[in-house]
Amino acid sequence: MNSPSFPEPPKWLTWLLRKICSERVLETIEGDLWELYGIRRTKMSRFRSNLIFLYEVLDMIRPFAIKRKWSNNSIHTAMFRNYFKVAWRSLFKHKMYSSIKIGGFGIGMAACILIILFIQDELSYDKNYERKADIYRVINVHAAPEKTDRWASFPPQTGQVLRESFPEIEMAGRLIPFDWFDAGNNQFRRQDRMQNSYEEGFAYADQDLIEILEIPMVYGNRTEALSQPNGILISKSKADKYFPGEDPVGQMIVLNDNTENPYVIGGVMQDFPSNSHLQFDFLISLTAREFWPGEQTNWCCWNYSPYVRVRPGTNKADLEEKLLLIRDGFMVKYAEDQGEADVDNFKYHSFMLQPVSDIYLKSKGIHDPLAHGDYQVVQMFGAIAVLILLLSAINFINLSTAKSANRAKEVGLRKVVGSYRKDLIKQFLTESFIFSFVSMLLGVVLATLALPFFNTLADKTLVIPWGYWWFIPSLVGATLFIGVIAGLYPSFYLSAFRPIQVLKGEKSRGTKSSRLRSVLVVFQIAASVVLIIGALMVHRQMTYILNKDIGFEKERVLLLQGSNTLGERIPAFKGEIAKLAGVSSSSASNYLPVVGTKRDGNAFFKEGRSRLDASVGAQMWRADDEYLETMGMELVEGRMFDLDRASDSSAIIINQEMVKQLGLDNPIGSRIENFQRVWTVVGVIKDFNYDNLREIIRPLALSGTSFGEIISVKIQSQDLQASVTQINQVWDEFMPNQPIRYTFLDESFARMYDDVKRTSNVFTSFSVLAIIVACLGLFGLSAFMAEQRTKEISIRKVLGASFNRILLLLTQNFLIMMAISLALAIPVGQYLMRDWLSEFEYQVTLGWDVFIIAGTIVAIISLITISYESIKAIFVNPVKGLRSE
Amino acid sequence: MKLGAFEELVLLSVGSLKEQAYGVVIKEMLAEKTGKSPSIGALHSALYRLEDKGYVTSSEGGATAERGGRRKKFYLLTSAGRNALIDANRLRLEFSRNIEGLNLEFGE
Repeated sequence: MNSPSFPEPPKWLTWLLRKICSERVLETIEGDLWELYGIRRTKMSRFRSNLIFLYEVLDMIRPFAIKRKWSNNSIHTAMFRNYFKVAWRSLFKHKMYSSIKIGGFGIGMAACILIILFIQDELSYDKNYERKADIYRVINVHAAPEKTDRWASFPPQTGQVLRESFPEIEMAGRLIPFDWFDAGNNQFRRQDRMQNSYEEGFAYADQDLIEILEIPMVYGNRTEALSQPNGILISKSKADKYFPGEDPVGQMIVLNDNTENPYVIGGVMQDFPSNSHLQFDFLISLTAREFWPGEQTNWCCWNYSPYVRVRPGTNKADLEEKLLLIRDGFMVKYAEDQGEADVDNFKYHSFMLQPVSDIYLKSKGIHDPLAHGDYQVVQMFGAIAVLILLLSAINFINLSTAKSANRAKEVGLRKVVGSYRKDLIKQFLTESFIFSFVSMLLGVVLATLALPFFNTLADKTLVIPWGYWWFIPSLVGATLFIGVIAGLYPSFYLSAFRPIQVLKGEKSRGTKSSRLRSVLVVFQIAASVVLIIGALMVHRQMTYILNKDIGFEKERVLLLQGSNTLGERIPAFKGEIAKLAGVSSSSASNYLPVVGTKRDGNAFFKEGRSRLDASVGAQMWRADDEYLETMGMELVEGRMFDLDRASDSSAIIINQEMVKQLGLDNPIGSRIENFQRVWTVVGVIKDFNYDNLREIIRPLALSGTSFGEIISVKIQSQDLQASVTQINQVWDEFMPNQPIRYTFLDESFARMYDDVKRTSNVFTSFSVLAIIVACLGLFGLSAFMAEQRTKEISIRKVLGASFNRILLLLTQNFLIMMAISLALAIPVGQYLMRDWLSEFEYQVTLGWDVFIIAGTIVAIISLITISYESIKAIFVNPVKGLRSE
Repeated sequence: MKLGAFEELVLLSVGSLKEQAYGVVIKEMLAEKTGKSPSIGALHSALYRLEDKGYVTSSEGGATAERGGRRKKFYLLTSAGRNALIDANRLRLEFSRNIEGLNLEFGE
């Protein structure tokens, strides 16, 4: 019919057009479109013509042209009304099954809504910068053969080199995000007030950094807020707190009573939004700042975290390659000038540009002091949400197909009267839409109710986004989608009945689909077992960490913060509280064996070998001579240094790991050096964990000082509260202007694992939900089985079968399924848990007992569920059971 | 009975194409005169409205091979349509008399 000279549009597009347009307009429109298509094909490629054709086709979705299903054809509405009526009736006729379907779905949807909100929040971090695509954090990668380390810190001059040596980089700004000099926590006051208050969230930042991060300003100008050498930028909430109702720009503030060097407020910024990877209230200017003479031109000390903004369209990989110039041109040169032995080590160094929106969620393995989310957790929660939904969909499928016998007659009759199969499919789909819609309503209600609890669990402040345009449509979309997913199989299954067989009253096919049902049930049970294994393991790891022997005693140690303002009076203060009956010892130090206190990495060598050996990286802590006693740490050999001995000014104590790494045969009396001076080892302490238990114990050295920002007090009396009150009195005598602030060491310790705890709690809760959903399904299914076999049971009873025998008969299928499920679940659970545990240096072992416990729990729960209905069926009077319909 | 701006353009094209007005041709004419080419959907939607208002009538015929053997739908301007155009024109003229630079005398 068509000569090839007239190109035809693709078949599927014309098919689509026919689906859209009503008969009335089709011919004309189709003709016009074909003609146009032919014209276009002479001018442009097939692909483009097809694209335009597709657009034109979709453009036909207009009121005048589309097929109308309802209005012009009243038979349809009548049909649908009938479907509705029937669906509604069957919903109420089988109340138990309906409530299981709807309840399970409701729980599933609620869980999904919560988890989706959670994931959305996690993914929303740092997405709102105008130049988002061009902002990176520079990461320093050290890929040694044995271990790859990543750090977000560089020497001071890196910022300047980034800015000046690379034309692709528009701006480079540095940040000092950890506790260093005035970064971290401080006593804070206005210059014109005397009363100090304690404030957290200080960091040093370059002027460039606030421009790169497009920090919105309330007062002052973003382009100069930090350009003054002693400038400080404060957040709006802090400005409201200390300068209510005024513009504080130009006002002076004092940190830690250091009146010599007050800061001047250069601007007030909007508080960082909750979904920003940075959460600071005070940014101190780095302009013209030198922490010690020559520090800024030195390549020794890796304390700065640089951010860059590149020209639009810059190739990230190329720039990363170019950045090696910093290594080869500066770092290596400096190391050579210093005569360092391990210059060769620099070949393992490289640079990575981390997109700003990845910092929060994708910084695994990068050492920085910022709070991070965990991409793995996000994925895991997503998987659990899908799983719960899947389990409830399985319930729906199983129960619908199982109960099909009751609908068989209806189907048969409808077919006889003239229904086509597709009408029946429509009918059953309508039914599942009704179910999914009711469930969605229930799910939203449940989610709204559960949200506050979920927020506490996950430490978030999520809200149900009613106000957003996409929320309701996506709920409706999800409802339809789930309706289709759950309803598709049952509707095809049910509509396939042969009317003759059904109406003749032959055995219904309720048992025929039992293979599929068994597979689905096996999957459900297996999923439950995996989840329980997960919950148990996470819980175990938690308990293990919190109770592990970590090499110091974290109980009953009071931490008095901000003792640096005592200055010279620290020993006097210690003397005063030593007189209290409840106090056994106290120690001043900035360094504590919990994350979040001061850290100071150093390179150590045996004396005189700094140009020959590779350095041993170690923490260099300073504390007074009561430190070990207060912390309950153990001296393996030698002695503690003594602050009153003049010769002990160069005494040092090291841990066993450091002895090992330095290769000291007789540590006591041996001399070691770092770049500042030579030390004499006077004692060796037993290794203790001073970091997260995700890390191994690294070398550590301890030297003497009487000064400290924190005074740790070991309390011996059982009455903690009384001792705290007494200590408080002493504090107030010494420091009337500064309220006491204290925490307990064990609390700080536990806080390190807040994230694990949160994950564990959320995981456990959702696992319980999933198991509830699975049990609901099992319950429904076993009820159905029992119902099916009432006749059989009655006959067996009449013939004298024992109760136990019948119970076994009814449950043996489930028992077999359970065995298969366990066999499937154990390897999966094992694999997943290995993966999760691998991030901890100190792990609990994955014992068989976990699998046995998980299996037993699931077995008991499901057996109870199954037996309940079975036993009910066995107790039915045989006379009743045998009475024919 | 109102006449929308786009409808008016379509009606003008139908009128000026006399007996030959069907979808593709109308589209091309509009593209030529206004520089913008309406989509077939938009065009037919307007044509159907015009037909409902009684400004055009339609007849079918003229299937060709390039159309895959589909019949065309020819549109003709009705007298009501003509009157609507005249009204629209008159309105425009009345306004433009009072606007500097628009009050030119149009020749025949």
